[in-house]
Amino acid sequence: MNPTAAGPVTGPAPDRSRPVPFFTQAASFEEAWPDIRARVTEVIDDGKYSHGRQVGRWEEALAEWTGARHCVAVNSGTDALVLLLRACGLEPGDEVVVPAFSFFATASSVVLAGGRPVFADIDPVTYTLDPASAADAVTARTTMLMPVHLFCQLADMGALARVAERHGLTLVEDSAEAIGMRWNGVHAGLLGAGGVLSFFPTKTLGALGDAGAVLTDDPLIAERVAALRHHGRTARTLAHFPGISSATELNGVNSKMDDLQAAVLLGKLPRLAGAVRRRAALAAAYTERLRDVPGLLRLPTLAVREAATDAVFYVYLVEAERRDALAAFLADHGVGTETYYPVPLHLQPCFARLGYRRGRFPHAEAACERTLALPFHPDLTDADLDTVCGLVRRFFTGRAAA
Amino acid sequence: MTEAVTRGRTIPFFAPDLFEEDREVLLDLVRRTGTVAGQRFILGELTAALEEALRVTVDGAEVVACSSGTSGLTLILTAMGVGPGDEVVVPAYGCAPLGNTVANLGATPVFADIDPVTMVVDPAEVERAITPRTRAVMPAHMFSVMADMPAMREIARRHGVRLVEDSAVAQGGVLQGRPAGTWGEAGVFSFVQVKTFGTAGEGGAVVTHDAELARVVRGLRNHGQEGPRFVHQRVGINSRFDELQAAFQLHRLPGLAARLERRARIAAYYTERFAPLAERGIVPPPPGRDGRCYYVYSVLAEERDALERHLAAHGVASHVYYPLPLPHQPAFARFAPPGREWPHARAASRRQLALPVNPHLTDAEVEYVADTVCAFAAGGRAA
Repeated sequence: MNPTAAGPVTGPAPDRSRPVPFFTQAASFEEAWPDIRARVTEVIDDGKYSHGRQVGRWEEALAEWTGARHCVAVNSGTDALVLLLRACGLEPGDEVVVPAFSFFATASSVVLAGGRPVFADIDPVTYTLDPASAADAVTARTTMLMPVHLFCQLADMGALARVAERHGLTLVEDSAEAIGMRWNGVHAGLLGAGGVLSFFPTKTLGALGDAGAVLTDDPLIAERVAALRHHGRTARTLAHFPGISSATELNGVNSKMDDLQAAVLLGKLPRLAGAVRRRAALAAAYTERLRDVPGLLRLPTLAVREAATDAVFYVYLVEAERRDALAAFLADHGVGTETYYPVPLHLQPCFARLGYRRGRFPHAEAACERTLALPFHPDLTDADLDTVCGLVRRFFTGRAAA
Repeated sequence: MTEAVTRGRTIPFFAPDLFEEDREVLLDLVRRTGTVAGQRFILGELTAALEEALRVTVDGAEVVACSSGTSGLTLILTAMGVGPGDEVVVPAYGCAPLGNTVANLGATPVFADIDPVTMVVDPAEVERAITPRTRAVMPAHMFSVMADMPAMREIARRHGVRLVEDSAVAQGGVLQGRPAGTWGEAGVFSFVQVKTFGTAGEGGAVVTHDAELARVVRGLRNHGQEGPRFVHQRVGINSRFDELQAAFQLHRLPGLAARLERRARIAAYYTERFAPLAERGIVPPPPGRDGRCYYVYSVLAEERDALERHLAAHGVASHVYYPLPLPHQPAFARFAPPGREWPHARAASRRQLALPVNPHLTDAEVEYVADTVCAFAAGGRAA
């Protein structure tokens, strides 16, 4: 069979000698192990395994790293969003404008906090909330605007802040993916009332299980989140078991962070700046190898904003013709990928009752059909990049190199 | 018995050395989780293995691991469709999640008073609290006593309401041959470190014989994904279980029976020593093993605060769990009808005191704790 750009590709037997997983941090974890081991030992010596001293130290270290006045550690990025929205005063029935293209928690957090998500389209280049579409979505019941910083860069926070101000909306950030991203030197999550971080293991800074945090400069929001994560108790509970007796002031939840996860994060933190630089180099190397591959419709493109911004490559995402066939081809050759995200939020089955139809948000819908995340992780080598890029090129051209 | 037992140290209530013997195992598991091929961190093979291993402890019921006992209750109530306009009858005395999990779904917790001695919810009070809006009843096992589950099942059946068993504290307890967690349509376990099957972090499980309920809970715990990833059938939550904790729990499971037995023996010893103290104002929980769990050993003391001070002065830490009934706490004030009283809950809040019962206590320490309580009852107050 003659491989063409339009048909399935066959050719020489694939080289399966070194598969490229979508994600691994095994080697970099091993490198950080002496530091992590020291922290885990502290946890065992202390004897409190959740909401303990190590979690307190992590909150302080994270505040210092991000510049946030307050960091509140919780069980996941999703919980962080729910508690942030509640702490910012979301009332039952309030609408929150969110992008139609994001991880599910962007919308579910609004529902779980008692509100109603209202969707808006994205900018097709950066995949982040389009300010004009967001402004169109605002109604009399809208109280908050929650942009998302996806994959490698911030949303257009200048324009979105103006939309929020014009309509009197509280600006909160789904900055779960955005550690290290800055706008005019200000860390993601601190550009409005507050933001979040997820430390799910695959994140730029990952723990070994679920963990997250709320970032804010507002002491009242921080206090409310801190109470809500511990069943609504406002008295001291961190590193203080007897505090479980104190009165419940708010209808809180259990979203305490594990000290073992805090230990891993503290052990990894000294290497974070280097990891961010390494990710930038990897992204540049991907782009260098892929820029002239036919069939790739878009490579990550950093937008020029009105302020200086720091991008951080968490995910390397391309848009491709025949995306699913490309993913299957790569999988057959031992290369892992992810489809972020196959279904836009407004068309999720659980939101059918909100009444959105296909075609309403064309950029979000197009992104769901075309985007594919390539292997991107701290252990990725130049040889891995060559493997992945060679296969992508072969899929579209039938040849391994230009 | 003398104070030499404590060698100047306080016998802790929240023991800091729970996993001292597991130190090297835990370090190894953290390293292995970080470096393992496959890099699976949540809801993987180890979580599935733990769920399977626990099934045999609950008569083959399904076990769905989740992020905490509290979120387990939320998962069950959500799966049952509890929401705005619904009422759920809960004990007036107990831990905050009893009220919070209901309130956070937009439903109304209706508080029922407790039995004055066992401190579990009084079936007659539960029945009295049922209205046409009642969607479920949610009794809780308390300290070392399981709620009257046969009566709760009968009430739920008679009124056609759902039965949720807050068995967060009762893993290992058995009532009339039936394990805690399996009396309700669904129950929960909490694995927070101080519980009978505590782990080195947060965790919990939903237990149910209802296969459909288990299926829905499995989806809800991971963002409502019931089939393909990134497709969400329901607005689920993030209440997943870490592989690291699953590995540690699988390591600890073989020792659970012995730890439960040690707790039961310490409790039996205390109760034997304290039974004669009733007329002196210290009432131990009932003797016996049926319907009992030994998460926390609580006495009721007329002069509770003085007893607590006496114990502290003699090197024994104790703990007052719930100084206020739930409806008297600010978060639940709006669910407390004006003028309504829960006298037994109020009395328990004033009298309850928990003594150390963790399985690491030595016999000498246990005897010392009992001696110190008895000395207080005999009039030997702390200076």
